[in-house]
Amino acid sequence: MADLEKLRAVAKETVSRDDVKYLIGWRQGTYGFRVSPHFITEPEEADKLIFSPLCSNNLATYLTLVEKLPVPRGQEPDTRKIALMVKGCDSRAVVQQLVEQGIKRESVIIIGCPCQGVVDLAKVEEKFPAVLEQVEARWDDGKIVFKLSEGEKAVPREEVLADKCLRCRYPNPVTADTLLWEKVEAESNDEYADVGELEGKAPEERWSFWEAYFSSCIRCYSCRNVCPMCYCEDCILDRLNPTWVNRSNNISENTAFHLARAFHLAGRCIECGECERVCPVNIPLMKLNRKLTKEVREKFEYEPGTDPDSKPLQASYRPNDQENFIL
Amino acid sequence: MSEQFEPNLVAFVCNWCTYAGADLAGTSRIQYPPNLSVIRVMCTGRINPLFVLNALQQGADGVLVSGCHPGDCHYMEGNYYARRRFTLMKDLLEYVGVDPKRFHMSWVSASEGAKWKEVVETTVNEAKEVGPFEQFQRNKINW
Repeated sequence: MADLEKLRAVAKETVSRDDVKYLIGWRQGTYGFRVSPHFITEPEEADKLIFSPLCSNNLATYLTLVEKLPVPRGQEPDTRKIALMVKGCDSRAVVQQLVEQGIKRESVIIIGCPCQGVVDLAKVEEKFPAVLEQVEARWDDGKIVFKLSEGEKAVPREEVLADKCLRCRYPNPVTADTLLWEKVEAESNDEYADVGELEGKAPEERWSFWEAYFSSCIRCYSCRNVCPMCYCEDCILDRLNPTWVNRSNNISENTAFHLARAFHLAGRCIECGECERVCPVNIPLMKLNRKLTKEVREKFEYEPGTDPDSKPLQASYRPNDQENFIL
Repeated sequence: MSEQFEPNLVAFVCNWCTYAGADLAGTSRIQYPPNLSVIRVMCTGRINPLFVLNALQQGADGVLVSGCHPGDCHYMEGNYYARRRFTLMKDLLEYVGVDPKRFHMSWVSASEGAKWKEVVETTVNEAKEVGPFEQFQRNKINW
C-alpha cells in the first residue's frame, strides 16, 4: 500500500517525457501535519513526492486555476500535457471537468492513487496540539500512524479521518492512465445522515442554524478559489454589471452568495470537501452542497464525476422528470 | 395592525404561454388579486434561479415562475431545463429555512386564463399565510 518507490518512479518517468509540461503531486509541508502541492518539471524533484493520510488537497483545482495567457503572434500554443496525481474524490473532479469540457482528455495524464482516507487536520491537531516539526503519516491496517519526535503514535482511523472519507464511496480513481497500486475496497454506503438530520428540523430551526453560519462568513471566497468545479473565467461574484451579489458583508448578501454558490454546484459537486476544509470560519458547506447532491441522486439518478461520457445534469433533461411541486 | 397584510409578489412568466394566458384572463374580465408584478421573459429557460434569490433580497414576499406545459415550449425544450433548475432551487430554499409557500412554479398555457387566476390566488393566499419575508431581505438588515 502507498508504495512511495513506485510513485516516485512513475513520476520520474512521466516528467521525463517530452510531451509533459509538469507533474502535480504532494510533498511534505513546512511544518506540522501540513502537506503542500508539489509541481515538478525535473525528474530529480520527484524524490520529494509523498502520498500519505495527510494528502487531503484536491490537486484537480490546479488544472483549471492555471492562468491562460494569450499566445504571442507567431508562436504556437503550448499543448504539452499536465500530469496529475489523484485520489478517488479528486478523480471525480477531473471527470466532471471533462464532462463539462473544462479540460481536454488528451491534455492530462491521470496518475491514480487508490486511497484509504485522508485526515481532517482539525481532528488531528486536537489530538496532537502544537506540533511544529514536520510529521509523516502512514496507513496501517485500520490505524493511522504518525511519526512524531517522541516516537510513532497509532490512532484508529475513525478518530482522525475526515468526515468525507468516513462516508466515501469512491476511494479508487474513477478513471486513470496509471494506477499506482491495487484498489482498495469501498466500505461505506452514504445515506446522507447529516443532511437528513437537518431536514428533520423545523424551518425556523433550519434558518437559525444557517443564519448563524452565514452571518459569520467573511466572504474571503476561499471556498470558491479552492473548488475544482469553480472555474468560470467570468464568475458572477466578480461581476459588477449586472451585480448578482453585492459586496457588502451582511446576512442578505452572504445568504445570496452561499445559495448561489451551492446552486452553481448542483449536479456538479463531487464532494471532495475542500470548501469546508479551507473555510476560515468553519461553515459546514458540505452540509449545504450535499443537500443538492442528495436531491440530484434521488430525483435525477445522476452522480457527478462518475461517468466521463455523461452529459452535465443541468444541460440535459428527461421529459418524465418529476414535477410534483408544480401547480 | 388592523389592515390585512398585502404581499408583494413577483412573477416571471414566459412570453408565449403564461403571459398570453394572463392576457386572456384580462380580456375575459376574470378577477384575480393584484399583488403580483409580472415580469415577462421569452422563456422559462431564460430565468436564472438567482432571479428568485434577488427578488427575495429586494423585497418580494414570494416568487412565481410560470411557463408553457412540458412539450409545448416555443423553443422546444426550455421549460424542461427550467423544471430541473427550479426543482433544485426549491429544495435548496426549503433546506435553509425559507418557507416553501414563498416559491411556486406552474404551467399555464395561452388558453388557460381561468387556471392563471387559480394559480395567482394560491400564490397570494399562501404568501398571506406566511406573512412578510424578512429572512434575508436587503432593507431589513439590523446592524
